Amino acid sequence: MSRSLRVLIVDDARLARSELRTLLAAIPWVACVGEADDVPAAREAILREQPDLVLLDVQLPSGEGFDVLDGLETVPMVVFVTAYDQYAVRAFETNALDYLVKPVEAGRLQAALERGRERVAAAATPAATNAPRDPLGAEDQVFLRDGERCWFVALGEIRRIVVDGNYARLWFRDQNAVLARSLSTLEARLSPALFFRANRNTLVNLRRVRAIEPSLGDGYELTLDDGSQVEVSRRQARELRERLAL
Amino acid sequence: MIDSGVETMSTRQAARSSGFWWANTGLWSGYLGLSLGMGIAYRGNWSGGTLIYVTVAVGLFVGSASIRSWALRHAWLQRDLLGLTWRMALAVVIVAAAIQLFTAAVLLPALAWDWVALPGQRAYYRPIDTFNYWLSTAIVLSVWCALWTGRRALQRARHSEMARLRAEAQRATLEHQALRARLNPHFVFNALNNLRALINEDPVRARDMVTHLSSTLRHALVHTDGGWVSLAEEWRVVQDYLAVEAIHYEDRLRVRTAIDPAALSARLPPMALQLLVENAIKHGIAVHPGGGELHIRAHLDGQGLRVEVDNPVPQAASSEGHGIGLAYLRAQLGIAAAGASSRDGSFLLERQGERMLARLAVRQ
Repeated sequence: MSRSLRVLIVDDARLARSELRTLLAAIPWVACVGEADDVPAAREAILREQPDLVLLDVQLPSGEGFDVLDGLETVPMVVFVTAYDQYAVRAFETNALDYLVKPVEAGRLQAALERGRERVAAAATPAATNAPRDPLGAEDQVFLRDGERCWFVALGEIRRIVVDGNYARLWFRDQNAVLARSLSTLEARLSPALFFRANRNTLVNLRRVRAIEPSLGDGYELTLDDGSQVEVSRRQARELRERLAL
Repeated sequence: MIDSGVETMSTRQAARSSGFWWANTGLWSGYLGLSLGMGIAYRGNWSGGTLIYVTVAVGLFVGSASIRSWALRHAWLQRDLLGLTWRMALAVVIVAAAIQLFTAAVLLPALAWDWVALPGQRAYYRPIDTFNYWLSTAIVLSVWCALWTGRRALQRARHSEMARLRAEAQRATLEHQALRARLNPHFVFNALNNLRALINEDPVRARDMVTHLSSTLRHALVHTDGGWVSLAEEWRVVQDYLAVEAIHYEDRLRVRTAIDPAALSARLPPMALQLLVENAIKHGIAVHPGGGELHIRAHLDGQGLRVEVDNPVPQAASSEGHGIGLAYLRAQLGIAAAGASSRDGSFLLERQGERMLARLAVRQ
């Protein structure tokens, strides 16, 4: 509990931001790292400040709150803030941390932040330095969007990542969605302890592998925890043996 | 709208009608089978008997269908019980007699020329026999009429009950939407949120804001009876409304007004101007990072009151439609569709270059 929770405020109304600042100031273990009033400013602030949590207004002048998250490499925890709960249902579908209605109750805000702090504590590894270019671990989350539906997904929840045109399709829970990023870019950013390149098209989450069987031509056949099967090419088979021997 | 209504009505009627023909055919075929069986069992198998039963059954089939179509054409079912009963009774008397006449007209020549056989090769048409024949036909026909009328009445009751429920549900939805349009929750909760911040920052302005907000809410809640208000009254409330929105949008909301003093006594539906302003802010100011300028004009001309509100066009088409607020405004003016006009006035929303212009005309 030594480190404080770093919070970013995103709302287009100055008074609304000021109100949130006032509320945050009353909680000693929270540090407000900045404010933003629109989508571009919010994206910049997230990249610059790497906040643990964002208090995000669902309606901003040049887009929705969701637009702030779209395409970010990893997303911080998000608590949606709205004047009226027409967007709340969607916020819940995305399994955002929480949502708050304006005027925000101090107790509800504190409870939401408390939950955020617990998650940060659970995710913190002994050597947690928050350097931005560290490979992404199982607790880091990405924001996925497919038409009207969106999800926050922790990398640990992803079973496999498959090439889909120029992008990558992520399979998680009982869903799948495309992330606008190439497979090799993703591979470079993901922790090698977690994701393994099984063949040209597929990255596999090693924690999700349930069975390994030799297949024809010196390769392997991996069975994942949802029953799906992934071929490990001969080239990668040796790499896999080395990885698993560790 | 009207066309499709007529079409569904007539297809429904056609379906009901074809259903009736099947049922009626089945019913009288069954009756024929039953009377043939009983006739053969009690009186023996005589071709003359068969002819009588067939002729009577055909007569009942045609007669019942005629009563039905006559009753439908002259809307007997809309009459009271007495009016319906005596008409039905009269129809039964006449049709039963016609059926017996028809039977006699078929049977007597057939007997005379020995086409069919009967015991003694003669038919009995003494008055008491004739009355008995007629009575049995009339009883069967009466039962048929009672069943048919009962079924019809039941259907009508069910239909009118459903129509009543549907109308009630529709009215409740409209009322709910109207209230939502008048008491825009997004506006109210944002205002309260801003107010809380303002209490710390500038208590004097916060007190003013409470006044403005109360006046806006009161106006929305009080004028729910549909009675019209003067432009002066409406304009006062819109100024309160703008004062509340100015605290939310600060320098992003810039307003230019040109209200002709002569127009202030003109009358218009309550909330009409406010809904236009609300709409302009939602679609023209809130979606621009730097905000924009809102123009509000009102004057009188030969036709009546003219109100115009314009705002910068939204950047993207992403902002949602001009939903319930404008629908409510149209309903208040009795305007059916966008761009149409009514006895009370007209409303038009159009793009002019980089601005969106809402034009309201209210006849005085």
